[in-house]
Amino acid sequence: MVAASGLGKRVDTAAGPLDILADIDLQIHTGEAVAVVGVSGSGKSTLLGLLAGLDLPSSGDVWLANHHMNVLDEDGRAQVRGQLVGFVFQSFQLLPGLTALENVMLPLELAAAPGPRAQAMQLLERVGLAGRLTHYPKQLSGGEQQRVAIARAFSMRPAILFADEPTGNLDSSTGETVIELLFELNREQHATLVLVTHDEALAARCERHIRLEAGRTVPASAAP
Amino acid sequence: MNQATRWRLAMRLLARDWRAGELRILGAAIIIAVAASTAIGFFTDRLGRGMVNQSADFLGADLVLESPRPVALAWLDEARQTGLVTSEALKFSSVVVAGERLQLAGVRAVTDGFPLRGRLRTAAGPFQTDAEDSGIPASGEAWAAPRLLTRLGLNRGDTLSVGEQELVIRKVLTFEPGQAGSPFGVAPRLLMNLADVSATGVVQPGSRLTYQYLFAGTERDIARYRDWLKSRLGPSHRLVGVQEGRRAVGTALERAERFLGLAIMAAIVLAGVAIAMAARRYSERHFDMSAMLRCLGASQRDLLALYLAQLLVLGLLASAVGCLLGWLAQLGLLALLAELLPMAPSATSAWPVLAGLLTGLVVLAGFALPPVLRLKRVPPLRVLRRELSPLPGNAWLVYGSAIAAVVLLMWRYTDSAKLTLAVLAGGAAAGAVLGLLGFILLALGRRLHGRVGVSWRFGLNNLWRRRHTSVSQILAFGLALMAMAVIALVRSDLLATWQSQLPVDVPNHFAINILPDQVEAVHGFMAARKVPTTQIYPMVRGRLVTINDAPVRQAVTKEAQSDNALNRELNLTWTTELQEDNRIISGRWWRVGDSGRPLVSVESKLAERLGIEVDDYLGFTVGDEAFSARVASIRTVQWDSFRPNFYMVFPPGVIEHFAATYMTSFHLPPGDKPMLMELVRHYPAITVLEMDLILAQVERIFRQVTLVVEYVLLFVLLAGFAVLFAALQASLDERLYEGALLRALGASRRQLRSGHLAEFITLGALAGLVAAIGTECLAWVLYSQVLHFDYQFKWPVWIAAPLLGAVLIGAAGYRGTRPVVERSPVLLLRER
Ligand SMILES: Nc1ncnc2c1ncn2[C@@H]1O[C@H](COP(=O)(O)OP(=O)(O)OP(=O)(O)O)[C@@H](O)[C@H]1O
Ligand SMILES: [Mg+2]
Repeated sequence: MVAASGLGKRVDTAAGPLDILADIDLQIHTGEAVAVVGVSGSGKSTLLGLLAGLDLPSSGDVWLANHHMNVLDEDGRAQVRGQLVGFVFQSFQLLPGLTALENVMLPLELAAAPGPRAQAMQLLERVGLAGRLTHYPKQLSGGEQQRVAIARAFSMRPAILFADEPTGNLDSSTGETVIELLFELNREQHATLVLVTHDEALAARCERHIRLEAGRTVPASAAP
Repeated sequence: MNQATRWRLAMRLLARDWRAGELRILGAAIIIAVAASTAIGFFTDRLGRGMVNQSADFLGADLVLESPRPVALAWLDEARQTGLVTSEALKFSSVVVAGERLQLAGVRAVTDGFPLRGRLRTAAGPFQTDAEDSGIPASGEAWAAPRLLTRLGLNRGDTLSVGEQELVIRKVLTFEPGQAGSPFGVAPRLLMNLADVSATGVVQPGSRLTYQYLFAGTERDIARYRDWLKSRLGPSHRLVGVQEGRRAVGTALERAERFLGLAIMAAIVLAGVAIAMAARRYSERHFDMSAMLRCLGASQRDLLALYLAQLLVLGLLASAVGCLLGWLAQLGLLALLAELLPMAPSATSAWPVLAGLLTGLVVLAGFALPPVLRLKRVPPLRVLRRELSPLPGNAWLVYGSAIAAVVLLMWRYTDSAKLTLAVLAGGAAAGAVLGLLGFILLALGRRLHGRVGVSWRFGLNNLWRRRHTSVSQILAFGLALMAMAVIALVRSDLLATWQSQLPVDVPNHFAINILPDQVEAVHGFMAARKVPTTQIYPMVRGRLVTINDAPVRQAVTKEAQSDNALNRELNLTWTTELQEDNRIISGRWWRVGDSGRPLVSVESKLAERLGIEVDDYLGFTVGDEAFSARVASIRTVQWDSFRPNFYMVFPPGVIEHFAATYMTSFHLPPGDKPMLMELVRHYPAITVLEMDLILAQVERIFRQVTLVVEYVLLFVLLAGFAVLFAALQASLDERLYEGALLRALGASRRQLRSGHLAEFITLGALAGLVAAIGTECLAWVLYSQVLHFDYQFKWPVWIAAPLLGAVLIGAAGYRGTRPVVERSPVLLLRER
């Protein structure tokens, strides 16, 4: 489903070129749930960005469901993202100008999917926010916002879901609920899940870990 | 994303942003720019169309021939043979008397058929609704303009006298074709029948009269007759066709449009600055959304379409509101000028609305597009790395598009590339100088830093930290205040100077058209009433036709060819005594024995313009007779002494055989005005010019016109406020955060508020200071170079402008920063 070979990211800094990622080879299969772990600054978010086609690698290749992402142009990648990919972020990235319902409808509308409103309402109900449809993000708590974000991520029934520290901004019990939801929906929709996390509890629920150290993968360990 | 989705989403986001107050400044700035430009647009369009539509109607004929003397009958026969309809009229100025009151009126005596084109408009009484009228005053009747009636305290049915003839007022004259070209006519109008003119006794040899011949016919016949007539016209004839008539009013209108247009441009540019600031903030506040949308699969084109649709709709809506306000403002403009307008404005047309919408979109595109275009280049990776922003817009693009928009709009007002460039360069230079000044003042203000309390320090710090926006605000307000101060100064000084230049006993009345056999009697009349008069001068009307035997137009420089003195008859006089305030600057005054010798003394300014020197030979014509005279002296003349003064003075015995009338001037205190009545009763042919009234009228016109300019400058001030609020909005997030932090650290609300007050009072005072400095410089140039006044230090401006700036901007800024203490600091710090 997701594959990378010889993936590297080099950036220019004041102190000269810096390899944030180097020689990453990986394969993630359909339906797998994979956790990317590592200390802060090890390059987890960078890797996620590359895999999701949000950024281009300096070397190596990325495939996303048979799309050779690094040869597509930005709009081409945007199209793939729109069709196949869902995102959940640490800071929830809802559009402040739209209500909860409108936020969830947005990807459906962007893809001109039929009946966006009904689908979105159903999803919000699924994440337990049926009563908050017309609330704006500002009027929702962090956990509620993250649930809206999850509903949005699943609205397009994505083949792959990328999540960057989805519980990073939440207290542990709220985080618990959110994780629960994430995995439930993932199971229901048979999606592939790639998530970056510090959270041991979260990582523990994934079948496989990819550990990063200073921008390189270290021998993968299977989940205990 | 399909069209419908894009559109729906765009509108939803727009509505949401509007509700959240994100777009208010942007909208307000567009509204101001559009309102300013459409106010002028409506105004000039209505007047302009009134003028063009009516042109022939307006002239009263297809062609008008004017002459100081009756023309050969053969000319009129030729016209009739060519197939034209003709009509005659006589125009003159005369003092009209009613009971104890008198008033100088512009009289036209007409014959049946007048006007040949268009219609007179009359009403039953002053200020009643008027209607077209197809007749003319019958013999013994007069139709009078409302102003004449009010001045004389008359009503319909009352009697007034023109010279020796009494006339009954039958109708109130509201529109008279053929009064184009004197948009700001001073004397109120009176229409009478030509048959009554001889009985008035006004027509005497040498009187100032204009014989008018009106022609109407097909375009071809008119052209044919025009050609025939052209070769026969003498220098004192004037031919007015539709084009010439239009040109006269057109030029006045065009000048007004240009001048007001430039003031409007200042407002538009300032509004543009506000738009640019607001758009920049708008753009920055939408980075996250753009990144998110990209992340969700929107293409760059989707984003572009999404934002452009919002911008377009916002632009159109705001422009529409602006048009409405502009229309209202134009009503005010017309009301201010109502008395001065040469014609009734025609109905509102749609063109200014279209122009207004375009103006709004052009300003928006020029100033708002570059920051908004940036939005489509937001990297999607921003969703993971918040600090990623699109590259800042290319400076060339940012400034280039703004300048292009300004040039495009300015073109409309100037209609010339050269003028546009000149104004642009001048504006940029003035902006740079004032901006630099603002910057220096700001830097000086910062020096105070150590010596003021904590609130002031906080305020000054804020100004300095955001010095770019501070300078732009100082510039915006400085400019507006300066323009208003200059207008106010010029008005009050000009009026004061006029008044002070008229010492109490200076002659304030001219009596002209005194007949030769009345000179003695008039002299006696005045003496009997103890009214001292200046010398009574004879006046012969003649033209300067040659200089040293060369036709005058070839003899003079190109600029001098259009000199008024060459295009009309001059008043020639003779005397032995040099007028007491005249000075000979070259040559010599008459000696004994010069009587009867063909010599002439020329006024110095005219001599200079036409290049006339002592010993040149000047050729004149009076009526059909030509003669020449040698220049014996060049003389300076005190024109503002209100004594009779002349370009050309001859010794006695040279032009005495021509028909002459006499003139004199005298001083009459307002209480003695009834004496004029007696004078005019006794000597109906005499025209009395009441300079005091004429000056008062000129003064009124001047007041009104400057008022209009100030009215328009209000838009500049409004635009200044738009800049202020845009800058405030741009800094609000930062202010909120800082305010929360300071409060968390123990600063009281009061301390914060006094800091804000200090900041904006300083800003306003600095803007006022810049305005004062600018005013001082501009006034100096204006006074010494243009108006030739004594220049004095304008200290009141130095107090008023900073004070006004401090109050206005202090209040607005204080109000605008209120949210800083209104929101809970905890909330703010958490949001961050
Ligand atoms: N464009 C860039 N320029 C310079 N340095 C960069 C750039 N992008 C990433 N980095 C650096 O690369 C390193 C890896 O960043 P990344 O955000 O991928 O780490 P992370 O593993 O997600 O860390 P965290 O757990 O704190 O989120 C960091 O040290 C970061 O500062
Ligand atoms: Mg990270």
